[in-house]
Amino acid sequence: MTTPAPAILEGLELVRQFGVQRAVDRVSLALVPGRVLGIFGPNGAGKTTLLKMLAGGLRITSGRLLVDGHPVEDLDRSWRRRIGVVSHQSFLYRHLTVTENLHFFGRLYGLRDLAVRIPERLDRVGLSDRAGEPVRSLSRGLRQRVALARALLHDPDVVLLDEPFTGLDAHAAEVLRGQLKILKDGSRAVVLVTHNLTDGFALSDEVVIQVRGRFAVRVDRDQVPNDFARYYRDVVEGAA
Amino acid sequence: MVYLRLVWALAAKDLRTELRTKERISAMGAFAVLVGVLFNFAIDPTLVRAQDIAAGLIWMTIIFGGMLGMGRTFQLEEEDGALTGILQSPIPLDGLYLGKVLANTVLLGLVVGLVFFVFGLFFRLQVEGNVWALVGVVGLGLIGFVGVTTLFSAMASRTTMGESLLPVLVFPLLVPVIIYGVSGTARLFVGRPIAEVSGNLRMLGAFAIAATLVGAWLFRFVIEE
Amino acid sequence: MLGVLGILGVLLVHWMVFFWVPTEATMGVVQRIFYIHVPAAWVAFLAFGIVALCGGMYLWLGDDRLDMAAEAAAEGGMVFATIMITSGPLWGKIAWGTYWTWEPRLTLTLLLWFIYLGYFLVRRSTSNPEQGKKFSAVVGIVGVLDIPLIHISVSWLRSLHPQPVVIKPDGPSLDPAMLTTLMTGLLAFTILFFGLFLARYGVSQLRHAAEVRAAPAPVG
Repeated sequence: MTTPAPAILEGLELVRQFGVQRAVDRVSLALVPGRVLGIFGPNGAGKTTLLKMLAGGLRITSGRLLVDGHPVEDLDRSWRRRIGVVSHQSFLYRHLTVTENLHFFGRLYGLRDLAVRIPERLDRVGLSDRAGEPVRSLSRGLRQRVALARALLHDPDVVLLDEPFTGLDAHAAEVLRGQLKILKDGSRAVVLVTHNLTDGFALSDEVVIQVRGRFAVRVDRDQVPNDFARYYRDVVEGAA
Repeated sequence: MVYLRLVWALAAKDLRTELRTKERISAMGAFAVLVGVLFNFAIDPTLVRAQDIAAGLIWMTIIFGGMLGMGRTFQLEEEDGALTGILQSPIPLDGLYLGKVLANTVLLGLVVGLVFFVFGLFFRLQVEGNVWALVGVVGLGLIGFVGVTTLFSAMASRTTMGESLLPVLVFPLLVPVIIYGVSGTARLFVGRPIAEVSGNLRMLGAFAIAATLVGAWLFRFVIEE
Repeated sequence: MLGVLGILGVLLVHWMVFFWVPTEATMGVVQRIFYIHVPAAWVAFLAFGIVALCGGMYLWLGDDRLDMAAEAAAEGGMVFATIMITSGPLWGKIAWGTYWTWEPRLTLTLLLWFIYLGYFLVRRSTSNPEQGKKFSAVVGIVGVLDIPLIHISVSWLRSLHPQPVVIKPDGPSLDPAMLTTLMTGLLAFTILFFGLFLARYGVSQLRHAAEVRAAPAPVG
């Protein structure tokens, strides 16, 4: 068995507390290039909270987050450049065009070649013909594609996806599936949080089931029985 | 340099959006004009000359009208979670603050222009003193006002009370701006020499600088989740 | 224990005020409220300084105890600010026939009272209590930096429009007996404040410990 590549992003005993409630309770994980980590769990399990912490947008109550082995407290904010996030919220400005949105976020990430980069990325997600339209005139599925283009614009090493299938119709979901497969074959570390057990499981290399803030299960995909839905139900009920 | 470009990118985004929606500017602008109209009815010309109290009325209109627009500073970001997207980006948080301050200053600057125009028209006001000194007084006061209010606007938008909390937090802190701003404006209206407002300019400048520096530094504690 | 000492001190000051200190020449008996008025204001501002200091350190170090200290100081400070701005008008009515005057100390304390109000409103109205603590710390810091500027600007404004002398400035021209009374008042109020502060802080500690005990145990 080949030695796994060193983790780009690693969390050790991560805790997030709101008052006296623990949304994320001593979670440890390592994100390795080329692997997809699927995080499943019931509502309120803390999956989104965990993702926000990994993305650097939510403060960690206790525990450590390491980027290339360095604790983030020792780094300035620039480590966030290596992370791209797709959420169920689009993070877009409705009154700006697709291009303007990408241009804005590209600037935030310090990109210089946007005049070339943006058209190219829009082409990849099949949105070249809608580049000049305001985001509010796009359907949910198309907005999600823009969000994906935005997340990948700066070529992040780590891609975090939080319920990306939410609200998508069949066609849009198919497109997203295709995009995720492309991601999977790359050299990035991917985290996929989803309620969509079928797609999620199909795409994952490693499976985590989070219940009430903790990782109830954390295994390689081949250690999970094929009837994932049943397995998932058993774990969640068992942890209740 | 890169930093300034970032600040500009942030401000430009806000201004571009405002250009398309015109939400805040129309609310503030309509407020300014209507207040002018109401003041006309509220002042008895047989008892007091409008020119005597114009400076005060103008500043109060700017402050109240400004509050209308400033309360929405961060609301734009809430809609589709764009603020989270920004917080997850590598930009320094004080840059985010300064971008907002810049955008708000431009927007409010337009409103200030409108207020002076409307009040000048309605009350037949004239500036006898140095116009540039007036621009200085009002401009510096504006920056101080925006600096403080932007910081607290980020706070207010995360409370259950929302925008209505903003005046309570900010008004006591703006007392120096009102005092130096109004007296400077009044003096320039009646044509006093610049020397008499140099103290005002200095104090307003100090307040503006202090407000933006302190705001930029404290902003990270307010905006992080 | 400090609280008891403080109360005794306050009683002593009252005795001094009513029976011991000589009457001030120009203003008469009413001037005596000065010995309550000034110490109350002093404590209100001292308390705010503590609020800002503890708040700032809380932002830096994240220790909840600093936040509890800031809150305790703020409650005490607001009480004394309230005493000051309610006693002011009472005195004003008796001394000059008007309830309110824009006398610098009174004005400044009134504004301070509102800053305190903002401090508490912001604490209590966030959905996430941790944010509320941070926000109130920011209010404290901004307040403590702005108050000197407010003071300068208000004094400047008043210097433009001379008003009847309100309170004789507490300078060295005070009669020694008056000075003693004033100092006693300052000391007594300060001690009382710290007594209240420690009591309030103690309550916060107990509540915090109870909350931690009551929190649901982590799974597994």
